[in-house]
Amino acid sequence: MENNAAVRISELELMAIKIRRNVLDICMQRGGYAGQGVALADIAACLYFDEMRTDNNNWYHDRFVLSNGHDAIMTYGALAEQGSYSMEDLRTYNADGTKIDQSPIEGQLGFEITAGSLGQGPSQAAGIAYAERLKGSDKRIYCLFSDGELQEGNVWEAAMFAGHQKLSNLVYIIDNNDLQATGATKDVLGVEPVPEKFEAFGFAAKRINGNSVKEILAAFREARNTTDKPFVMVCDTSLFAGVDCLQAELPNAHYVAKASADWQAGLKELEHKLNIHALN
Amino acid sequence: MLLNTDIKIDKAPFDHISFDLCSRRKDVMLMSADLSKYTQIVRVKKELSDQHLDVGMAEQNLISVAAGVSKAGYVPIATTFACYATRRAYDQMMICMGTGPNTSIVIGFTPGIANPARIHHQAAEDLGMIRAIPDATVIDPMDVTDFKQALDAAVDIPGLVYMRGHRGDTPILLNGQNFKFELGKTYPLREGKGVGIVATGHGTQWALEASVLLQSRGVDHSLLHVPTIKPVNETEISDYCFAHDEIVTIENHNIVTGLGSLITEIISNTGRGPRVTRLGIPDIWAPGGTLAYIRSQLALDAPALAEKIEAISNGE
Repeated sequence: MENNAAVRISELELMAIKIRRNVLDICMQRGGYAGQGVALADIAACLYFDEMRTDNNNWYHDRFVLSNGHDAIMTYGALAEQGSYSMEDLRTYNADGTKIDQSPIEGQLGFEITAGSLGQGPSQAAGIAYAERLKGSDKRIYCLFSDGELQEGNVWEAAMFAGHQKLSNLVYIIDNNDLQATGATKDVLGVEPVPEKFEAFGFAAKRINGNSVKEILAAFREARNTTDKPFVMVCDTSLFAGVDCLQAELPNAHYVAKASADWQAGLKELEHKLNIHALN
Repeated sequence: MLLNTDIKIDKAPFDHISFDLCSRRKDVMLMSADLSKYTQIVRVKKELSDQHLDVGMAEQNLISVAAGVSKAGYVPIATTFACYATRRAYDQMMICMGTGPNTSIVIGFTPGIANPARIHHQAAEDLGMIRAIPDATVIDPMDVTDFKQALDAAVDIPGLVYMRGHRGDTPILLNGQNFKFELGKTYPLREGKGVGIVATGHGTQWALEASVLLQSRGVDHSLLHVPTIKPVNETEISDYCFAHDEIVTIENHNIVTGLGSLITEIISNTGRGPRVTRLGIPDIWAPGGTLAYIRSQLALDAPALAEKIEAISNGE
């Protein structure tokens, strides 16, 4: 049993490397939110390739709501591996006239809401969760948003509602990277202690290392076993986690306007990691 | 189209309108933000409780949870005062509801000076705000019949639908037997050649009151009711306007961005046309008080409206 779990973790770590590679590839030409995409690769691997159930049409039975549109790059990197997007199309990210929006509009494959005006995803996910529960569906609703987004009042209105309604089919995933547009979150307007705040609103909360597949899987498992309240995973992450050279070069790059000289080194680093996995 | 009998007053129109709709449409979810009592939602809350959801005093959450509900197969009708829907949750209406295909209805009650509690409760700009959202639908019904039929139509209109709601003593003016609300359609309520009056919502009620005075004074006029502010029927409106030398618009809304502005936009798109006089809430902070008092203060009571229209008719 333990061996099976270790194999599964290894498979998902391999998937996370591929997602990181896709993110760097997508942002190679015109930049983008590469640091977040790379940092969220472990969460994406667990979410899209383990946690969310699929239906007969090779699409997801459970529902994912992306609130902070910038993190769409994570979804693109994952859905390229899932097969819904081609890398050829994804490489038009950030180009004039592209259909691969940096912050997607509702209706684009993989995006349930128009993400980008921050703070609105948690409420919409709560509305979906409430309605799915009302109609007797077993769908689980996952919503990703960021620590900086916690400064929006709408998030706390949503949390109050979700806690009050005991929406146990709802899981909030917070990308807690201590970085927002103009600086460190703790310097601009501190949001900690995040788990305790959500617990006060009626959630079960867990702070985890957002770059540990093992911890992410355990948190998802705990969320599934929580049947009387919504669940929040506070995922501590750092930009470009998993690509050492870029993490060292661009630790605070909320947005990368142009791929740096180290981009190729980053891709080589990931290819090397893929090769090591193949050997194992 | 207009009832010829004595005008009947409905004391709580939305209670039976919402109950009737929810009884027929089990996919409708009525939503409140701690104002169900003040928007007169009683029977649905009591007898169809699964179809009512109160999110507490949180309008941004009201609108964005409603948008989520629409994405799970229900038709949400988010209800609150017009001032809160638009001023507090405009971004949520535009982004969460306005960019997707699912029907999402917002009803703004006590619009304009229908709310007695002064400027913090008086949304005089809601129609203008929502009509600036691409693909949105905006409806300002004139009475109970119009309100009921417009809402029945709204549940099948894709995307964001914003309606003004009536609460409390509301007249029944239209004959439900031969009035049929159609999105975009305009309704001639008085025929005549003199001044052409274009009105919407409460403004149509006020125009009918002024019309009685104008008829008694022999002032030739006509009246067109325009419940659909968006998508607007430019052909019907321009045909009506170009058949007159003088147009007067009457609305329970700031004369900036509302019906009057809309009519002048249509006429200016078409070319030379009649003079347009916009009557409504002037671009000032309105007073509080009873509706009758506020109307008298803003020269929107029937005698003041009739006097103004008569003066226009006389070329002043």
